Amino acid sequence: MKHKNWNIVKRIGITLFILILCIFPLVDTNSYHHIILNQTLVNVVVVLGLNFITGLTGQMNLGTAGIMAFGAYSSALVSTKLGFPVLVGLLVAIVIGYLLGRVLGFPSLRLKGVYLSLTTIGFSEITRLIITNWTTLTGGTMGLQNIPSISLFGYVLDSSTKVYYFYLFIVIVLCFTASRIIKSKWGRVFKAIRDNIDAVEASGIDVAKTKILAFTLATILGCLGGAMYAHMMNYVNPTTFTQDLSANFLAMMMLGGIGTVPGNIIGSSMVTILPELLRFLENYYWLIFSIIALLFAIFLPNGIVSLFTGDRRLGRFWITKTKKGESSHE
Amino acid sequence: MLKVENIDVFYGEVQALFNVSFEINDTEIVSIIGANGAGKTTLMKTIVGINKVRRGSIKYHGKVISNLAPHHSIYEGIVYVPEGREVFPQMSVFENLEMGAFSKKYTRGQFNEALQEVFELFPRLKERSGQLAGTMSGGEQQMLAIGRGMMSNPKLIMFDEPSLGLAPVIVDEMFDAIVAINRKKNTPVIIVEQNAFMAMSISDRTYVLEVGNVTTKGISSELLNSPDIKKAYLGG
Repeated sequence: MKHKNWNIVKRIGITLFILILCIFPLVDTNSYHHIILNQTLVNVVVVLGLNFITGLTGQMNLGTAGIMAFGAYSSALVSTKLGFPVLVGLLVAIVIGYLLGRVLGFPSLRLKGVYLSLTTIGFSEITRLIITNWTTLTGGTMGLQNIPSISLFGYVLDSSTKVYYFYLFIVIVLCFTASRIIKSKWGRVFKAIRDNIDAVEASGIDVAKTKILAFTLATILGCLGGAMYAHMMNYVNPTTFTQDLSANFLAMMMLGGIGTVPGNIIGSSMVTILPELLRFLENYYWLIFSIIALLFAIFLPNGIVSLFTGDRRLGRFWITKTKKGESSHE
Repeated sequence: MLKVENIDVFYGEVQALFNVSFEINDTEIVSIIGANGAGKTTLMKTIVGINKVRRGSIKYHGKVISNLAPHHSIYEGIVYVPEGREVFPQMSVFENLEMGAFSKKYTRGQFNEALQEVFELFPRLKERSGQLAGTMSGGEQQMLAIGRGMMSNPKLIMFDEPSLGLAPVIVDEMFDAIVAINRKKNTPVIIVEQNAFMAMSISDRTYVLEVGNVTTKGISSELLNSPDIKKAYLGG
């Protein structure tokens, strides 16, 4: 009974949240704010992907920047050099993401932990160096300019507000899909691989196939995020896709809460929006932001989302601390 | 039903099994005993496909299954319950059991049937179906590992050190359950144990492994009285 009520509360909460997001640009017409929100939406897409491979399956992927660069450049090149509509570019980015996942998934079958991290960093850096130096195709350090905005069957999304609504729609669809996948048997197998890979094998599950599936989900969403970024900024250059970017996405996932869609949303929003809110501190804003992030990491090791869930799976730092005197049995 | 013929198995360049042959018939319990490092676990992992065979063959119902990937051999009905209670600590008991049925395309009815069988075998698991597996006692985790293996409705089940690190009372319970699995469903059972006396007293036949070789094999009740076995494995 209690469970049922909780579900209703949750549904109403989600609907209200989406409504607020829909109304927000009408109330606040500052286009700078809209750009930051768009950036947040793009980041949510990428973090949802990263969550599958690093958050759930536990394979440390530090190549997010390279994956995004692939998506951004492929969509941008298809729409500028080949002159296809942008939607085709987005589709190409998704296909490239799929292929990339198949290829990039293979090292994860043989490599673990820090070695996999190094391999993915290597991939990311190689990608960045190629797009920096292949000047004839990618424009080198000058980047690709005049990337067309998205047009939906003739309706061009030329203002950040229009882009916002389109991206919001994509993100909502992806969030529901991702949470369905996490709750499905596949989501459970991802977590099982993180927790105990020997037992997964003994249960008769194809570990190789599952890992590659998780990687493919990550690269598809990463490439889509990259493409969305390219068409939002109308300009890409290689200096965006550095190791810092990969680390940033990891921070979003960790701070928000590993393995859950709300955690991913909270984390991406916090890491994207909070530094902007702290701009009034001028020279010190990044320092203060880092301290805040650090405090969250120390006191909420399972992410901000663990404040709201009563999920026993999330370690409750404070509660276990304060309850120490009492019986340790639940 | 399962016939292992003259297999050699290597870990890298180190040979772990030398020319091992082994056989199990329908409805039989066979135990494999031996000291640490004798190759007992290696043999099981090879049968299920986690280790690869370099020479020799493994036949299951006359079909060669050597070097079949684990998820395929489990599909054929061969289940391996690994040693050391390999459960998923962050999942509930129920979810762990669901994982065992993952490779099977069960309908809801078939799934519930398999679940009821496991709960009958281990009523404790039913009581605790909502609890996180990592918070249970060692014995309960071992029951869960066995239950998870049973969920895929095995045609052949292999237990690796089911008594490892358990209290004597629980060990008895565990062996009773293994015998019950064998009796009720006529499932052939292979059991690997350091606790040689226990394993031999419930099994029909026994193989003795020593540094990668089968040195002795025979009817368990006869081997129990053999002076050599007594001296080496049964403490006098």
